[in-house]
Amino acid sequence: MPTDTPDFGAARDHVLREVVRFARKLRLAGATVPANAALPAVEALVEVGLSDRARVRGAMHATLVTGPRDSETFDELFPEFWYRLRTGLEATASVDDSEQWGDRGADERDGNTDVDGTLSDPSAADADDAAEIRDGEGGDDPEGELEVRSRRIADTAVPPDEIDGDEDRSSTFSAVGESTTIDEEAANSARLDHGALRDFEGALATLAGRRWSRSRDGAAVDVRGALRESLSTGGVAVKLPARERERSAFSATVLVDVSQSVLDAIDRGFLLSVLDALVADGRSVRVFFFDTDIREVTDVFARQRGDPAAALERSEVTWGGGTQIGASLATLRQRWPHAVDRQTATVVVSDGLDVGELDDLESGMAWLARRSGAVVWLNPLAASPRYEPTCRGMAAALPYVDALFAFGGNDDLRDVARQLDRFGPGGPVGYEHDFRDRAPVDDGSEAGDSGRTEAPRS
Amino acid sequence: MSEGAAAFADLTEDDLRGVFEGADYVADEELVTAVYLSLKLGKPLLVEGEPGSGKTELGKVLASGFETDLVRLQCYEGLAAEHALYEWNYTKQMLAVQSGEGNVADSGGTGADSDGDAESGTDDGAGAGAGGESVFSDEYIFERPLLQALTHEGPTPPVLLIDEVDRADEEFEAFLLEVLSDFQASIPEYGTVAADQRPVVVITSNRTRGLSDALKRRCLYCYVEPPEFEAELEIVRRKVPELDAAVAAEVCGIVQELREEAFLKQPGVAETLDWARAVATLRTNGDDSHLTADEIKRSVGTLVKEAEDVQRIDAELLERLETAAQEARGRAES
Repeated sequence: MPTDTPDFGAARDHVLREVVRFARKLRLAGATVPANAALPAVEALVEVGLSDRARVRGAMHATLVTGPRDSETFDELFPEFWYRLRTGLEATASVDDSEQWGDRGADERDGNTDVDGTLSDPSAADADDAAEIRDGEGGDDPEGELEVRSRRIADTAVPPDEIDGDEDRSSTFSAVGESTTIDEEAANSARLDHGALRDFEGALATLAGRRWSRSRDGAAVDVRGALRESLSTGGVAVKLPARERERSAFSATVLVDVSQSVLDAIDRGFLLSVLDALVADGRSVRVFFFDTDIREVTDVFARQRGDPAAALERSEVTWGGGTQIGASLATLRQRWPHAVDRQTATVVVSDGLDVGELDDLESGMAWLARRSGAVVWLNPLAASPRYEPTCRGMAAALPYVDALFAFGGNDDLRDVARQLDRFGPGGPVGYEHDFRDRAPVDDGSEAGDSGRTEAPRS
Repeated sequence: MSEGAAAFADLTEDDLRGVFEGADYVADEELVTAVYLSLKLGKPLLVEGEPGSGKTELGKVLASGFETDLVRLQCYEGLAAEHALYEWNYTKQMLAVQSGEGNVADSGGTGADSDGDAESGTDDGAGAGAGGESVFSDEYIFERPLLQALTHEGPTPPVLLIDEVDRADEEFEAFLLEVLSDFQASIPEYGTVAADQRPVVVITSNRTRGLSDALKRRCLYCYVEPPEFEAELEIVRRKVPELDAAVAAEVCGIVQELREEAFLKQPGVAETLDWARAVATLRTNGDDSHLTADEIKRSVGTLVKEAEDVQRIDAELLERLETAAQEARGRAES
């Protein structure tokens, strides 16, 4: 039911969750944060408000930092906190644009406008439309751009000798490397578990809109159901029925980094099988390949089901070039501005080893984050237990990503589905919450059934 | 709103900036927010930074700006609770008991939040005198800074400045925890003294040792960095108005250059102000000529205070300082 009342409960929960998450991130990064620091931090936010970045930064610094050395860590992590905080707040106040749902099913609409505290603000819907028009014209929102720049992560904060192996790898790939056509045989080693894929697709179906999420313990009380049932007991809710997330068809835009570094780190057949199945199963799934440029390959997958490698080869689609994510996103924005919208989950498959301009990457990711229902990043390198997103491209993109997951095989798909289904994209999800028992392997190869064909180069 | 912050219920950050402005105290936004939150939340503010960076001055500015008392507790090694909280006037107590005007029974706790224990000793306390009032009462107590802050009466809470807490022993730091947590102190013979309104607590530390997590947990935190050139120039202009503006810029440029050196003791803002006053004293009639190497050499003792550091100021460094001074003058004039 549309309403023009902001969901203060959801906003409060979001702020609490983000403050606790930020405090935990600081601790994980080595900062000394008192055990009870989140409490005064939230009290401080009550005093300074949530709209002014400098004031919020000052409040969080005063309450979470206990030494000058921790200030550097704080400054590195604050942009991500600020972005998540603001994005979540904007999401809780976002439109209930049921009029714009087009061919989406009524069941899905109900699922998003039920008891989950979703909002309806016609003026916001207009603003969204206006933004879309501007984007389509290649224009931009000056305020948005300013905000984007302020979110920049200090990518030079990591000393060269502390950069993980990913950074070393990036130097082995050319930014403008030459692409080659797809070898059908090399790409046909798929062993996709369709059960895992269905779980993954189910999770994708719940992403768009970031409208509601479960509490940390996974509970979701069906308030409307509880009220109905209480009628038979004189208004007393004897038990609280849990609300099950309604799954339905999904819309997604999949941006696949087909640079050589990614192809070397992932089972190409597995990747193509996943894309093939997503195009077949989704209500509206568009697939783009990018390396130094971006091209849409949805039609190629749609044209010949079951043998995507052969179809790609026949269509002379190329892959294996360098990586310039920012430039590719700029092209996407210019040529296919409507490929992403707030009802679409954007899935980026990339190792983040970008050698293009970081400003372009940040600007592109900010646009993607603003326009998408959610941005999920699948990184084949994150399957390693030792993985840290410190390479410059990944670090620059991370603040704009709702969740970063490993992507190497069926187990990874299952874990993405498990985490998203349980907590939603705004919850404690991501590769850092992947607690599967994966023994570190020196050469970077992966335990389990991740279909990696080759260890990352170093 | 947090307990004890009622006196600052209507305070805004602009008000606070006005307080700093009125006292010519140049504070960056981070410090303003930290102080603002400390006042609004009623939590102590732990301010760390190099010596001479204006930490102590902050407490003084707050006291004068809010027209309230400044209660200062200077910490040092060996500082004990009795020096910080209270002491009994033993001479007066002894005379009172000998003259029969007082007895040694525990006080009922005049003016304090006395508990049952404090009152229980009035009948059968060992050595209780035959008559008169207990000598463990207000009349016989010396209030030390912490107790003064807790018992302060007035419309605005006092500013309690616990200065250089890193100089005190860890035992004293532990003792502070009760005061900073509950703003109350227990005196065995007297009872529990609780503050009617929480004092504004500013704790400073020069980081000569690490403070306990327990203390940090009870405080908001702010680290005062040495100011940038522009901020330091603003401070000098305000605090040493008698010095020509262009020369003040040279002074600040030289100090900034010296902070790049690996000195044993980096010059703080206090040293900058001392040197600026020294330069103003040595010059007469508003002389605005460039600072010379000889002038720097003669007066640099107010700025650099370690013998090894003074020895490092050789001809080469003086030449660089002259260059830095000229560049700073150019920046200020542009």
